[in-house]
Amino acid sequence: METSFAITGKGYVILAADTTSARSIVKMKSDEDKIKTLSPHLLMAYSGEPGDTIQFAEYIERNIRLYQIRNNYPLRPPAAASWIRRSLADSLRSRKPYAVNLLLGGYDTTTYTPHLYWVDYLGTMTELPFGAHGYGSYFALSLLDRYHDPEATLEEGLATLRRCIDEVSKRLVVSPGKYKVKVVDKDGIREVEL
Amino acid sequence: MSIMEYNGGSVIAMVGKDCVAIASDLRLGNQALGISSNFQKIFPVTDRIYLGLPGLATDVTTLRELFRYRVNMYTIKEERDIEPETFAHLVSSTLYERRFGPFFIEPVMAGMSKTPSGGYKPFIAATDLIGCLNFAKDFVVAGTASSKLYGVAEGLWEPDLEPEDLFETISQTMLNAVDRDAYSGWGVIVHVMTKDKVITRTLKGRMD
Amino acid sequence: MPDMVSLDRAGPQQRQFNPYSDNGGTILAIAGADFSVIAGDTRQSEGYNIQTRYAPKVFKLTDKAVLAVNGFAADGNMFVKRVRQRLEWYRHAHAKDMPLRAIARLIQTMLYGRRFFPYYVYNILGGIEEDGSGAVYSFDPVGSYERESCRAAGAAQSLVQPFLDNQIYFKNQTAAPGTTHPKHLPLQEVLSLVIDSFTSATERHIEASVGDGLEMYVVLARGSQLQGLENVPNVQEMTTTSDGERIFIIRRELKKD
Repeated sequence: METSFAITGKGYVILAADTTSARSIVKMKSDEDKIKTLSPHLLMAYSGEPGDTIQFAEYIERNIRLYQIRNNYPLRPPAAASWIRRSLADSLRSRKPYAVNLLLGGYDTTTYTPHLYWVDYLGTMTELPFGAHGYGSYFALSLLDRYHDPEATLEEGLATLRRCIDEVSKRLVVSPGKYKVKVVDKDGIREVEL
Repeated sequence: MSIMEYNGGSVIAMVGKDCVAIASDLRLGNQALGISSNFQKIFPVTDRIYLGLPGLATDVTTLRELFRYRVNMYTIKEERDIEPETFAHLVSSTLYERRFGPFFIEPVMAGMSKTPSGGYKPFIAATDLIGCLNFAKDFVVAGTASSKLYGVAEGLWEPDLEPEDLFETISQTMLNAVDRDAYSGWGVIVHVMTKDKVITRTLKGRMD
Repeated sequence: MPDMVSLDRAGPQQRQFNPYSDNGGTILAIAGADFSVIAGDTRQSEGYNIQTRYAPKVFKLTDKAVLAVNGFAADGNMFVKRVRQRLEWYRHAHAKDMPLRAIARLIQTMLYGRRFFPYYVYNILGGIEEDGSGAVYSFDPVGSYERESCRAAGAAQSLVQPFLDNQIYFKNQTAAPGTTHPKHLPLQEVLSLVIDSFTSATERHIEASVGDGLEMYVVLARGSQLQGLENVPNVQEMTTTSDGERIFIIRRELKKD
């Protein structure tokens, strides 16, 4: 089953999402990137109903890009998160709501602070030190309650993430195999091999 | 599965002597799974009005933004702050607009309203999810722990409490009520408002 | 043939009889160091209909045991009748009253005996243990039980229990430096808390299921003082023996709306 995690640390946010794309009981793809780069310092991990996810993620991606082109500056993480949340909240009360859950990780270059937002398909949004979606969250959240450190270095943060992934692989019946891991900090966005 | 209990959370407001208090828990959950222990449900509307929005979390944020917009428009047009009584009716009519597809929120308000003599008098109110107003003289409650809040508040509250005593009363009411509610808790925040200031405290309580 | 019942057209029919009902009301018991208070309101209702304003929910079992029964009144009354019968047999066999902890275990086995067609009742047993301490035992409908020092059950449980947590167990309260919270409260304070609990529940309970009258049983340990009980209005002694525990009943009015 789809699983995604996110952890904040000292000056960074790590996002991780599994790479399987499934239809019913069949794995259609095992190298799908479910983390989009929305702007130079903003990442979005998305999961949920197959068609909706890509449709919604691309809509968000294009509109965030359009804002940046029009204004020469990208939206800061809190503003981007608010707009994205509102898109989901409006969609919820439409004829066909998007069933998409998000983790938004960003680095605010004006205040030099990392931000992580947990957003679900209802438009529920909250800022967190760490978060997760999917069945993996039932294992990862309790683990992160114990091991998360907001002052941890990137190496320590990645080690903590590794523990989450290992725990899910060990205990979840329908655990995903591979994850894509991305980091956002003052230097921008990059992919990390665990 | 009830929509009103999907995310959990509770709010209470109380009247004291020349003061009011409003308190909420800080939990955000998905049914039994706790997501956040710092989800604010109480928002300042003006210097003298606080609004609590327990219920479905997506509507907490949506309504908070909607009320901010509507109160800002009011302030610009009227060139003055909105009064608590007026705001209560704004809340009521905003919710009733969605009579047949409601926001799943039961708002609770607390504030100090201006009197003709230039003084201030405590004000509290609550509505149901379609905006039926309840102007109580003692206390109002809402959320998943509402029945527990009623029970404790009815036992602890008395008229004309001084700000510090009102703080103790509302805090004890909230803490003990949420400790018996699986969907509320994970921290409590309390605001006590007098005519010239608001004191906000985050309480240390059980985190289970 | 119009007046003949056609059997081929009639689909399968299901009939159901619901053997249970909820008769509202609330019960409450608090244990002191050498006494126990067991209380219940006297209203019996079904939905918004009040069946009677005086139907006791609290029953004296022996001179040292009182049982409060809440939920489905018919089951409750029958259950008390059967417990009393078992206690009488015990008396005939052993020439003494059954100890409180034994009554508690008896109630468990009686409730669990009906595991698959339960008595739809929540029981609270209060009284005095053999060591002279005040005790409260609370049960679920199928016999899970526990000794506690306070418990509320019934329609207003959710209103009363958190209040009791705060006032009896001193939950969320910090004792002044160098002091500790008392393990047991004096009788007068317990009685005030019981009365406050019931007036609060009567005031705020959403359905019309708590109110009318309040009956508070007080069981005093052997040889203990009256502790101000003699000055309480409307108190009546119900003790049957002369050298054992003493039982009193206090009746109060509650709001009738």
